[in-house]
Amino acid sequence: MAADNSKSARPRVALFVTCMVDSLYPDVGIATADLLEQHGAEVIFPEGQTCCGQPAFNAGFRRDASKVARHFLDVFWPLVRDGGIDAIVAPSGSCVAMVKHSYDILFADDEDDAYQHKAQEVSRVTYELTQYLVDVLRVDSTGASCTAKLAYHPCCHLLRDLRVDEQPRRLLSHVEGARVVDLPSAEECCGFGGLFAVKNAGISTAMGRRKAHHLSACGAELVAVNDVSCMTQLNGVLLREGHRCRAVHIATVLRKSEAPQGEEPHA
Amino acid sequence: MTASPVPARDEILARLTGYLTPEPPRFRGEAEPLPTVPMTVTGAPSGDATLAAMFGSRLEDVQGTYEIVDRPGDAAEQVAQRIRLWCPPLFDDQPGAPTQVLAWAPDEIGVPNLENRLRESNIELLVPGDLHEAQVRHKAAGLSVGITGVDAAFASTGSVVLASGKGKSRSASLLPLHHLMIVPASRIYPTFEDWLRTLRQAGELENFLRHNAQVAFVTGPSKSADIELNLTLGVHGPKVVHAIVVDDGTPTGS
Amino acid sequence: MLDVHAPFESRVTQALADDHLRTALDRATTRLAERRDLAVAAVDNPALRHEVRAIRQFAITHLPDMLQQLETNLIANGCQVHWARNAAEANDIVRDIARRHGVRRVVKSKSMLTEEIGLNEALETDGIEVVETDLGEYIIQLAHEPPSHILAPVIHKRAEDISDLFQRELGMPPTTDPGVMCATARQELRRKFLQADMGISGGNFAIAETGTICIITNEGNGRMVTSMPRVHVAVVGIEKVVPRVEDAFLLWQATTRNATGQAVSVYFAMCSGPRRPDHADGPQEMHVVLLDNGRSRIIDRGYPDVLLCIRCGACVDVCPVYREIGGHAYGATAYSGPIGAVLTPLLADDPTSVCELPFASSLCGACGEVCPAEIDLPRILLDLRSDMVNAGTSSVLERVAFTSYATGMQKPWRYRALVVVARWATKLLPRNGSGGLTKLLPPLNAWMRTRVFPRFARRSFRRLWRKRSSGRGIEPSR
Ligand code: SF4
Repeated sequence: MAADNSKSARPRVALFVTCMVDSLYPDVGIATADLLEQHGAEVIFPEGQTCCGQPAFNAGFRRDASKVARHFLDVFWPLVRDGGIDAIVAPSGSCVAMVKHSYDILFADDEDDAYQHKAQEVSRVTYELTQYLVDVLRVDSTGASCTAKLAYHPCCHLLRDLRVDEQPRRLLSHVEGARVVDLPSAEECCGFGGLFAVKNAGISTAMGRRKAHHLSACGAELVAVNDVSCMTQLNGVLLREGHRCRAVHIATVLRKSEAPQGEEPHA
Repeated sequence: MTASPVPARDEILARLTGYLTPEPPRFRGEAEPLPTVPMTVTGAPSGDATLAAMFGSRLEDVQGTYEIVDRPGDAAEQVAQRIRLWCPPLFDDQPGAPTQVLAWAPDEIGVPNLENRLRESNIELLVPGDLHEAQVRHKAAGLSVGITGVDAAFASTGSVVLASGKGKSRSASLLPLHHLMIVPASRIYPTFEDWLRTLRQAGELENFLRHNAQVAFVTGPSKSADIELNLTLGVHGPKVVHAIVVDDGTPTGS
Repeated sequence: MLDVHAPFESRVTQALADDHLRTALDRATTRLAERRDLAVAAVDNPALRHEVRAIRQFAITHLPDMLQQLETNLIANGCQVHWARNAAEANDIVRDIARRHGVRRVVKSKSMLTEEIGLNEALETDGIEVVETDLGEYIIQLAHEPPSHILAPVIHKRAEDISDLFQRELGMPPTTDPGVMCATARQELRRKFLQADMGISGGNFAIAETGTICIITNEGNGRMVTSMPRVHVAVVGIEKVVPRVEDAFLLWQATTRNATGQAVSVYFAMCSGPRRPDHADGPQEMHVVLLDNGRSRIIDRGYPDVLLCIRCGACVDVCPVYREIGGHAYGATAYSGPIGAVLTPLLADDPTSVCELPFASSLCGACGEVCPAEIDLPRILLDLRSDMVNAGTSSVLERVAFTSYATGMQKPWRYRALVVVARWATKLLPRNGSGGLTKLLPPLNAWMRTRVFPRFARRSFRRLWRKRSSGRGIEPSR
């Protein structure tokens, strides 16, 4: 609990929106903040934040990744150390997985283990959005409603690295009016994979098409995902190939307001 | 053969020692210590069926067939009938040349009165001498039934153990299209691991492998799924595997 | 079949354009993966994985001891043991044995290791006929292709393709009935078995305490190869050794459950030496070639984990990349899929010669999740990528991109400026009807050929946040 926050038991959450949400999908960030606040958290936004370093790390550019990761820790670690926050929450499974699992690898070879230590402390309080809502805030239903036929695509890092699956599914199943459909081969990757999406564009697209095909087959109108990178990949294919289905970030589905419109590129 | 002055053996071992000591190799992820006794992977089916029935039903799961003979004295009759089912006599009244089947030595098959009973049906056991001799090999290769005993069998998987040895050719269970195996119920173990434990505790496991040049575990007929994953039987080994389980009244070795 | 010697890009393009191939792959890998799921669900799989790992890791950690013990016991069993540093030495050893016995015909059971070292070609230069006897291997040998899957080598072929081949090569009447095709092969191969002078096998496990080479097959060719010819040569990688008999049984069951979903394979041949004098059949001589060929160097390169592999193929069957491109896109290598993507560079003298392989993965993690030896394949792919970058294999464009990325992301103002520049730059680029971009600058232009990219938001999150907070009279936090 925050030391200087005795007047209320509201957990203080530092929002890490991620670089993609910040620059491409700010609405997802707003929805994330809304959700956290609606369910009892106090949200702060550390303005110094940029990126977690994942793009470079996954591409093998560890020196570059480590610079960015250090910056991330420079921004968030003091908050953790001073007890100014109870948790760091991000609307992204892969960025959270980066912080929780890959920072260890990144700083393992550092001469002094200052950053390794910081990474471990930060990692302990970092959560993906739906994981935090369900596991910490004990949310069962977000009170959202939606009339669309809704599918859920579990993003790989969330599913396999963080082992978070039941939480988002539970929240979605409690969305009022939603008809949640079973997505065939749901656990198969959408084909994004960071640099892979451009370096191996052909394979990446083929994987995206396969996912789009499954989405059409199950009749989903919206597919909720926990990562805007996967959302970009899915919409990139769905739009180009003229499918009706759209990918949306789960935060915009779970937010208590009118039904989400699907993340069309901003007109 | 090699131009290098250091023998390959020494160089490989030296290299490995250099890479593995004094610092042990760094694996990504922890391993538990070597288990004293590895776990039982495939358990025996639960329920109160006899081991013989469990063995049989598992064998059926893998496209084999079986029958249980309650008295050892009746086994020879069943063997004769089974062979005649697979190889009907050419002429009903006039027996021609005997039907030959590739076999283990009668002692190793362990069915009382087998040869006499088969002779009545004009069936002859061919127990090969040296299969590297062209004539023997040629003859053996032409036969369509093989008869063997088994060294052990398993209720968990429908598998049998066939150790090669004197009077126990590998070919009898390998070359013919039909393999008839005589399984004494007393040799059926619940699982592989039970059998391994029994042999290990008796101090026989090592010798069992080392003295029998080949110990083969066989589980049903030969199969392949190479053509579009379609199951086809009898690619190289037998296409038909039938077990005659003989209730010999002794409880299992376990 | 696609040209396995073409550059990677071209192999992938060819594979992606082959609809038959992708249909065949999709069907086969999906079914194999489903069967595997059922088979591992029927046992205590987490415990099984721990024990596989423990046994394999023990063996690798104690390799020198294990191998010497194995050698002693093989010799005691009457085997002749040979050691080979590399492919050339191994091939020479086998050729030498063949020469001493005047061998003209060889039958082989499936072995990825002999594929790796090109043993068939080496024997053929001596005028020896080498026949692959695993049905799948036989088919690709007739078609002059390399295997496209470590377990199911003809996974890329439809029944029609195989029928055409058998009609052409074996004079089979037209049919796509797998039973008929199989019977045709049985007849053909049975003749070869009976005439062969030498049998060559690999070895799934080598038991140190008894000097036993274990061979897993379903067809029975493993037993044939090790029983019918006068000479049996087993070519075994040095990493295949296990300490005890019980360990081999655990690994056998783990392999088959993960490979094909069977509780056990039809045959498990445990070979401990040549036939004894009073045996009717079995080889008169048994040779074991213990081959390194880059395996020990893998430990030195810092990747001992990949030596834990038991070649079950589970990682291949769940791999979404393999499912799109198949095994031949991985090049002229014996190994494909995730294990191929790590093993091929690690076995190579120069890993950067196949630097594209570790990058051809979306890092979805499906492989690591299934691996019975708990090999963290995604982690290994990441580490290899880092090695490749450090070895300077990346393009100038990538290097510039990531350097600017790192510079930009270290200071929020630089990052903000970058976003502004990106937003303005992309404003100038063409768009489609709904506003999505249709062109990007390299390297991102590869995205656009097949996918739409969203526009940058007019107002970034941090600007929206400030407005939101000031609306509520809250100061933005630092
Ligand atoms: S890496 Fe693991 S899953 Fe892949 S083949 Fe080897 S043992 Fe099987």
